[in-house]
Amino acid sequence: MKTLEITNLKKSFRSNFLIRKYHILKGIDISVEQGEIYGFLGPNGAGKTTTIKCIMGLIFPDEGEILINGQPSRSIIARQQIGFLPENPYFYDYLSASELLHFSASLFAFPAAYARERIDLLIKLVGLEGHEHLKLRKFSKGMIQRLGMAQALIQDPVCLILDEPFSGLDPIGRKEFRDLILALKSQGKTIFFSSHILQDMEMMVDKVGIIINGRISRQGQLSEMIASSTQYHEIVCSRINEKQLALINPNFISRDNQFIITLDNEVDINLVVESIIHNSGLIIAVNSVKKTLEDIFLNEMKEVQ
Amino acid sequence: MNGKLLTVILLSLMLLAAVFQNRYDSTSNYFGDRNTFVSLPTGKALRILSFGYQNLTADLLFIWSIQFYSTYYLTNRFDFLERVFNTITDISPRYKEPYIIGALIMAFEAKDIPMALRLLDKGSRSIEKEWFFDHEAGYYCYKYLKDYPQAEAYYARASLKPSAPSFLKRMKAHMVYLQDDPQVAYQMWLDIYEHARDRLEKDAGFNHLYQIKAEIDLPFLQQKIALFRENFRRFPSFLAELVRPGIATAIPRDFSGNDYQYDPRNGSLKALRVFNWKQR
Amino acid sequence: MKMNIKGLVFNTFKESARNKMFYLLVFFGIIFALSSKLISFLTLGDTMKVLKDTGLAAINFFCVLIAIFTGINLVYKEIEKKTIYNILSKPVTRDHFIIGKFLGLALTMLVALSAMSGIFFFLVLLVGGGFDFKILLYFLMLYLELLIIMAISLLFSSFSTPILSFIFTVSLYLIGHIMWTFNEFKMLLHSQLWVKFTHALYYILPNLDKFNIKNEVVLDLPLRIGAILFSILYALVYILALLTVTILIFRKREFQ
Repeated sequence: MKTLEITNLKKSFRSNFLIRKYHILKGIDISVEQGEIYGFLGPNGAGKTTTIKCIMGLIFPDEGEILINGQPSRSIIARQQIGFLPENPYFYDYLSASELLHFSASLFAFPAAYARERIDLLIKLVGLEGHEHLKLRKFSKGMIQRLGMAQALIQDPVCLILDEPFSGLDPIGRKEFRDLILALKSQGKTIFFSSHILQDMEMMVDKVGIIINGRISRQGQLSEMIASSTQYHEIVCSRINEKQLALINPNFISRDNQFIITLDNEVDINLVVESIIHNSGLIIAVNSVKKTLEDIFLNEMKEVQ
Repeated sequence: MNGKLLTVILLSLMLLAAVFQNRYDSTSNYFGDRNTFVSLPTGKALRILSFGYQNLTADLLFIWSIQFYSTYYLTNRFDFLERVFNTITDISPRYKEPYIIGALIMAFEAKDIPMALRLLDKGSRSIEKEWFFDHEAGYYCYKYLKDYPQAEAYYARASLKPSAPSFLKRMKAHMVYLQDDPQVAYQMWLDIYEHARDRLEKDAGFNHLYQIKAEIDLPFLQQKIALFRENFRRFPSFLAELVRPGIATAIPRDFSGNDYQYDPRNGSLKALRVFNWKQR
Repeated sequence: MKMNIKGLVFNTFKESARNKMFYLLVFFGIIFALSSKLISFLTLGDTMKVLKDTGLAAINFFCVLIAIFTGINLVYKEIEKKTIYNILSKPVTRDHFIIGKFLGLALTMLVALSAMSGIFFFLVLLVGGGFDFKILLYFLMLYLELLIIMAISLLFSSFSTPILSFIFTVSLYLIGHIMWTFNEFKMLLHSQLWVKFTHALYYILPNLDKFNIKNEVVLDLPLRIGAILFSILYALVYILALLTVTILIFRKREFQ
């Protein structure tokens, strides 16, 4: 069973005067397996947050189905299995971190002892020890984000839905948050998160869905997407005459007394390397240059337009 | 719970609420328990409380008063009548209708003419150029109080106001006539007749003068005829016969210049045209 | 299912209780209730009557303000600041949310009214009066009225802005106290259709003046037990109806 399965999700909004209808989602299909990190990538306004709000039941789809472990996402059973961190989360600022988590726990009606234990654990997990009793209005953006993660994890959900979890964080905060997400993955949690920041995605996701203009234009395992898309190979060498090298392969550039040869074909690598050695040149490196997620994404954007 | 079921629940709750409301209402005698008034601030206080919306306040109070005073089942509704209209006219003294409508309610609903007159007097003081209040007051005195001197005074005042219609003078003359003062009334009517500006006024003047003259002349002649009969044991054969024995110096004629109709057989005397204006 | 509302109730109470506006109104209510002692100096004869009149009026007025302000702000703020996302993403239905908010408001009001009425009773004792059961009954009736007002403001705040909710709620509050004029108004109408319309309005709009037993309490008039009983039943049923409408509206609401 898929942890999260969205089929043919459509959503439109009417403008203020009910005259024009804006189609935000035009038929989204997403499937996330258990234990995966799914990166939901797309430019601003593509429909990422709208999709997530549909999953969380904050808005109602016009068409389509959203299942969490086979249960409709709006059902109480499904809701017990997902933790949600909204974009730029905001919590009652008159509460302290510990009070907020107790409030979140109260929505599940946990026994008091269990709730206390769980909250202590989460505070440690997200690294807010020592700040439990600070009022939230004094919290920094990064601390709020971490607290948001803690409240999303309050019932130990199997699936986490994170909307733009990295926005507004500084580089160190991002690193810490990334480590937190990877730690949760290692605990077996399924994580679905949206972002428009490519580097964060590339470093952690298993599966990527690219949404552009309300449609999923590409979806698949990140490794497959990248593996299937080696662009070219390069050979770095030195201690060789430029004229001699030109005879071996004319497709090179020189930089700092080194030469970088670019090859489109894997088959040529051996031949070129042998020739360089034969000419008493020094091989420094042989690299396969793969497409980055950025290249894939920009390519998709170009295709859509 | 689905929406339909919830809607059904809602409707039954509303119905139940209505039932309880109904039961509640039935626990009290609606008309019996009602106080008509708890209190009404004075005009001055209301003027302050209206915070610049005096006219609106007066309008609202006026509209309310019209509704209130036509609520016939409230038998004690006149308790504060004068106070209410005094308040309205205090807040907005130059608002004409409350004086007139208030006076109408006082006169016809509450049957208190002096109260109506007080309100109209106040109107006349507040809006000096308006003749209608004095006319209305004069009419109440004339028709309901039968206080002709008072009515005459009102009509006199009304007729002096600018743009007062001409009939006010005629009413004043008529009030004098009704006070059994035909000589003065005759002079007044003569003045109206001679300065009449239109046909109607002229005709009215003529009719009244004819009547008053007849009312003065006929008793005079009848007295002379009686004197003649005492002296000669018969009625005069014709009216001019009264002059010869020195009983009358001259024989008056009616206002059109015709002789009064005299019957020598029974000595009866009458005018050509008969009105009955003294019917009160 | 019932347990998870408790958190919402107490959080709502906590939120209102940490609001400056709430404190200010409770404070003013108490100040005015106390100042009724001063006003009673100005009168001759029965000072206790004036004390009760002004004290009860002050408590009534400020409690109504508290009811309207807390009622219209709570749900709106929750939506505006998006804190509602964190609640509705948990296993909490929208029905639970509304019920929880209402019970939280009811708790807040109970605390505020208890504080004010406690001080009022203390004041009456201080001036030499005894404990009057009728005044307690008055506070109970006032509490029911306040619950209706809060349910109304909750209803409006579930779909409109605070300003509009305020205007709607205040209008309904004022109309609710002059409902008895509808019967007189009906007699002036000539069209049967309008009479029926007025009749329907009379039963649909909240009829709040029945909870006003100030006169009976202060002037020590006999209380009509039947009327009080039906008022209480009316309040309970009417509140349930208001909550049902609110839930029906709130279920359709999208948070964009």
